[in-house]
Amino acid sequence: MSLAVALLLFLGAALAGRRFLSGYPARPAGARYLGGRELATVAAVASATYPKGGAVEPSGLEAGIPLYVDRFVAAQPPRMRFLMRCLFALVEHATLVFPAPGAGGRRRFSSLAPAQQVAVLDGWCRSRLYPRRLVFTSLRAILTMGYFADPAVLRELGLAPRAIPRTVCEADMLWPKIGERPESIAVTARDVVPATAAAPVVPLGPHGELHPAYAAPSPGALAAPLPARPAEATS
Amino acid sequence: MSGEVRVFAQYDRDVYESCDVVVVGSGPGGAVVAKEVAAAGRDVVLVEEGPPFTPDDFVLDGALSMARTMREGGLRTTRGGFIMPTMQAIALGGGSLVNSAICVRSPELTLDDWCDSFRLERTSRAELDPHYDAVERFLGVAPTPDEVQGARNLLFRDGCRALGWSSEPIPRNVVGCRGSGECFTGCRSRAKRSTDLSYVPAAVRDGARVLTSARAERVLTWGRRRATGIEGSIVRPFTGEPTHRFRVDAKAVVLAAGCMATPVLLQRSGNLANSSGTVGEFLQFHPGVAVLGVFPDRTEPQFGATQGYQSLEFVRRGFKLETLWAPPGVLAVRLPGFGFDLKANLARFPYAAIWDAFASCNRSFGRIRARRRSFDPAIRWSLHPADLTILGEALWVLAQMFFAAGARAILPGVHRLPDEMSSLAEAEVLRTHDYRATDLTCGGNHVFGTTRMHGDPKHGVVDEDGRCHDLDNLYVADTGILPRSPSVNPMLTLMAIAHRIAGRVAERV
Repeated sequence: MSLAVALLLFLGAALAGRRFLSGYPARPAGARYLGGRELATVAAVASATYPKGGAVEPSGLEAGIPLYVDRFVAAQPPRMRFLMRCLFALVEHATLVFPAPGAGGRRRFSSLAPAQQVAVLDGWCRSRLYPRRLVFTSLRAILTMGYFADPAVLRELGLAPRAIPRTVCEADMLWPKIGERPESIAVTARDVVPATAAAPVVPLGPHGELHPAYAAPSPGALAAPLPARPAEATS
Repeated sequence: MSGEVRVFAQYDRDVYESCDVVVVGSGPGGAVVAKEVAAAGRDVVLVEEGPPFTPDDFVLDGALSMARTMREGGLRTTRGGFIMPTMQAIALGGGSLVNSAICVRSPELTLDDWCDSFRLERTSRAELDPHYDAVERFLGVAPTPDEVQGARNLLFRDGCRALGWSSEPIPRNVVGCRGSGECFTGCRSRAKRSTDLSYVPAAVRDGARVLTSARAERVLTWGRRRATGIEGSIVRPFTGEPTHRFRVDAKAVVLAAGCMATPVLLQRSGNLANSSGTVGEFLQFHPGVAVLGVFPDRTEPQFGATQGYQSLEFVRRGFKLETLWAPPGVLAVRLPGFGFDLKANLARFPYAAIWDAFASCNRSFGRIRARRRSFDPAIRWSLHPADLTILGEALWVLAQMFFAAGARAILPGVHRLPDEMSSLAEAEVLRTHDYRATDLTCGGNHVFGTTRMHGDPKHGVVDEDGRCHDLDNLYVADTGILPRSPSVNPMLTLMAIAHRIAGRVAERV
């Protein structure tokens, strides 16, 4: 191989690498698993899928979708994490091969103009090709679950869970909260409320008190801590 | 005599136990067997891969809840033609922890068909009724009362009535339900009598020892005719990281790990109990389709029994109708579009009801195979064109019900059709559409057939008592033994059959 060919190959690889991997914003604070590039893709798709305003006020970014997705991916088994990361990479780089309409359409998804991002997602959403639609549906499903994790969204829609008084049953004497030892069980037989069909039922309704986690304004306040998986990367 | 429940934090070394009967899986099948066999005075060890949950462990957010309570993070799907999500729980109580507590007996016609088609002699409705009675009595099964139905369930009733179709409040294993609509993420009210709160504590009272966070990985055998126990790993909750080994020696082994996990366990145990070649074969689902209807008045859909009304009007035609609720984020996955259009649809949730139909799909089969270096199954399943037609008919029936109940619009979620239909005339296309499987957004959580019951050992894995044809003391007691769709939600029928299996196991040990 001549030196010129080797040089050309090196330059090509460098350009491709720059095109694929560089120029991303820094990884947001609080991210635990996904890298800055993946979170940039998620943020771009979240902005296009859930823009600010409209029938429900918060945007996808205000609802904290990127960090939610980060936590959701971290909570998955390794195979699912791999598939989801492939999904993000596919969405991010597909426009290098199948460009978005308009000038400068052959760029990474997260670098496209907002109107181009919408056009790309619309193409995936309405595609005649099932695998393409499936990519869109899968991605939107993850983001949608993240959008609904924001208490502000649920409160605005009147869908926030209500407070439910704690009822103690026999099982509460048998095992502790996950991760704790049986010694931490404070319930005794005297605390147990027997389940009887005769007890009066007070149905929950829209005027009930909100669950404390949903009365708070901050996004992401509701999830219990999720342990890291054994092979989890910490980068 | 009183048993115990051992949790992950208690394991500091390898575990060895011996007993009369070891039961693998604490869902509706395994928990019934464990309790009944323990009540008969036998020494029982119940092994469950998942952890036991308390109300403090429940997460109300749908996706994170799925990641904690479901196998493969709640993202398990089938392959083969099209992709269908399917969820199997990993928790003490199995699927009963996260299902809607629906307890419906299989129709006589369906059970007669099983008897005729699979050479079964004692599985008619009359034979099973005493077992249904026993389970219902123990769980306190009763029809859902009107005061906790909520508007979206009562509108379903109104739609059926307007069209002259039968409907009924769904019988459920709940006591004191307040209609929080949170069955899917775990019942904070402790009203649902899931097996972790009902059969498992009863089994413990009768002396059963329960090992949670213990994953069965191999059935131990002596020769090819006798099972001698099981072995596996103690695994960390949520991560599945193995920390210790365990072994349980037993006079009889009952596998109730679920329709997906039991065939994998048999395959990984040296292709055990498979002289018929049917382990993992004949996989069937109840694929379901759902329609969202928008009403003029607020329905406040998050309040009311998760699934409170059903119609068995079309069971003979191959599908069952019922109301549906789940965390909004999970339901919203079915809504069309993105951007401001999607947000406009989300804003209709307070005025919405979602009703679903699932089909028996007795012509659609698949299979389960053990995945390499994993205890998760590889699932292949495809939808037969005739069953696809039935699902299309079900969508049309749901559309008629919505408009009969006063809906302003429906969102059927079918590709190649309009996102929204505002009249019955517009919805007529649901009746005439040439459906492809990939047009539909289906989900299938009821699974059957992978270790099916058959009177002829050449064509099935177990006999009517759940005993494997190939081994003297190995039993299966999960939905894998149902030879065909039960036409309705399978939990109660499985529990009734498990109740019968328990009697035989106790007799023979």
